[in-house]
Amino acid sequence: MLTQRSPVLSDNTKVADLISPNTREVQMRALSDPEVYELEMERIFGKVWLLLGHESEIPQSGDFVVRDMGSDSVIVSRDAEGAVNVLLNVCSHRGMRVSTLDCGRTQIHKCPYHGWAFRPNGDFIGSPVAHECMHGKIMSKEELGLKKARVTLYGGLIFATWNINGPSFEEFLGDAKWYYDMLFCRTDRGMEVLGPPQRFIVRANWKTAGEQSAADGFHTLTLHRWLGEVGGYAKKAEGEGGADLSPEMYGVEVSSPHGHALRCIDLGRKIRRLAGMDPDQLSVDQKLHALPPAGMTKEMVGQLAKNLTPDQLKVMAWMPPQVGGMFPNVLFGFVYIPQSDGTIVGSMTLHAYIPRGPDKLEFVNWIFAEKDAPPELREKMLKQTIQLFGTSGMIEQDDSDTWPHMTLSAKGAMGRRMTMKYQAVFETQAPKGWPGPGIVNEGFTKDDTQWHWWLYWRELMTAEG
Amino acid sequence: MEAKAMTPVSPEKVATPELKGERVPLGSALYNRIVEFLYEEAALLDQIRLQEWGARLAPDLIYTAPLRETRPMDQLNSSFVRTVQHFHDDWRSVMGRIMRLTGTKSAWAEDPPSRTRRLITNVMVAKTAKPDEFSVTSYLLITRSRFNSPEYDLISAERRDVLRQDGESFKLARREIIVDQAVIGTPNFAIFL
Repeated sequence: MLTQRSPVLSDNTKVADLISPNTREVQMRALSDPEVYELEMERIFGKVWLLLGHESEIPQSGDFVVRDMGSDSVIVSRDAEGAVNVLLNVCSHRGMRVSTLDCGRTQIHKCPYHGWAFRPNGDFIGSPVAHECMHGKIMSKEELGLKKARVTLYGGLIFATWNINGPSFEEFLGDAKWYYDMLFCRTDRGMEVLGPPQRFIVRANWKTAGEQSAADGFHTLTLHRWLGEVGGYAKKAEGEGGADLSPEMYGVEVSSPHGHALRCIDLGRKIRRLAGMDPDQLSVDQKLHALPPAGMTKEMVGQLAKNLTPDQLKVMAWMPPQVGGMFPNVLFGFVYIPQSDGTIVGSMTLHAYIPRGPDKLEFVNWIFAEKDAPPELREKMLKQTIQLFGTSGMIEQDDSDTWPHMTLSAKGAMGRRMTMKYQAVFETQAPKGWPGPGIVNEGFTKDDTQWHWWLYWRELMTAEG
Repeated sequence: MEAKAMTPVSPEKVATPELKGERVPLGSALYNRIVEFLYEEAALLDQIRLQEWGARLAPDLIYTAPLRETRPMDQLNSSFVRTVQHFHDDWRSVMGRIMRLTGTKSAWAEDPPSRTRRLITNVMVAKTAKPDEFSVTSYLLITRSRFNSPEYDLISAERRDVLRQDGESFKLARREIIVDQAVIGTPNFAIFL
């Protein structure tokens, strides 16, 4: 059994007490305290599975990208056997970064400082001038390899953890996997990146982005209000509420004891408009053909039944997961964007929010398409996703301007004693006939999923050993 | 020692791939008009007169900003990434961005707006195969001040433009913004570069 003994901060505050379970509050201090941040690097980023990229970024033997696990740089490389390795980017000799690049292809990673050389699987090859034995005789070559993380591939996504004997990736995902499968494992050939990720710095604590990703529905109404105000995104059709985005807030929200969260948004209105029929009168297959999953075509819909269960297909055609997060620092968006010509084009994106200190994060934005998606669709998805998400994204530019202010608030002598509140509580349960697992509630968005995110944060921060 | 007159460098010898055509000499009337266009554009953007700026865009505009990657010297060309980019826009989407910024009450990323200065230097102009179109490269430094922070976000870049003659002035038909940072240091590109 996991014992709980909360670490204590230098002013004798217990980390556990930053969270008030009875009133569902989180002290702002959690967003700014450097001691909390250092604990997170060990207890969260040193323990859980972290997203590092997608295997389509490193298709060939020797290909590598340099990424981050919390505050550590790692080399993500494909070795001669085709396996993906995640190696601490710290030379076993004097600690120089073995790679100072973003990416490349090599069978030998040679440290620029003294020339110690490593294979893409982390094995130590040797040091220069072999007969003079720079690496000495005290330690064997086997002991001098780069430190290796535990790696798993899921739908081609690369995850790694330093918790070598900890929970498996499947255990970490738990019930949420049933839903993630509908996004990442739905087609025969899977998905691929459309290019390297966008990267930019936001002067905000990583948790401002992390907790929002745990399915904050409410912020859409205000922060992203413009979506209802202009152009092709305006909801002008009758029964769609004019500039009011609130109809989009209905659906099902799923969370898990591990802080994963998904907003499953009702497609009914879109399907009614596209098919000209009441969705209740349509079969699952008819609905999927009327509105294929975000990023897929009608021609690809047949693949779904081979990869997903009938229960998953039912949800896919009804209220598919569209936005949400994966604990601790991942956001996914698999969204259906209305076009001016009445059609729908999907966007498939994943973000990782890399902690860069208590008040800084690096926003990493990958854009995906299904490998089987036709070129015209990929091009449309690429442009649309860049225009709405990431660096210049018209939706997300408002987020990146908000999180820094929360972080500033959390630095105030009084501000850091204030709390963030998660008191909008679901009083419903899963809708009738909902086949999926997890903590499931239907209706207008609420705070439960984000609250569960914080509870898992607290569990990890206070776990012993 | 006798001072030697400096040999003028032939423009062809320092031509970048973006400036293949015959160079339009610095200080010539045409060069001056092009520089003036760039200065006016900078003023319109800095003064947030976005619709007036939009009127200077050609309907076939392509507006992009490649990603940069840290690559070794011998792979310099691969450091420009034109698959996923920071901007991947055309006339319609740029006008959509302008509409969001000027026509809504909730474009928070620029409301309150940044205070910016677009400093444009190192302008070089070359003729193209089309008599009414000119390749123009320039250096761009944007200082961006947000809220009450005394620190500036700096965005340094090279612009690679195509300007098309439009009466006495020009229309912007192509702009590629080559930013220098692999990891962008400002929280968004809610401003035009």
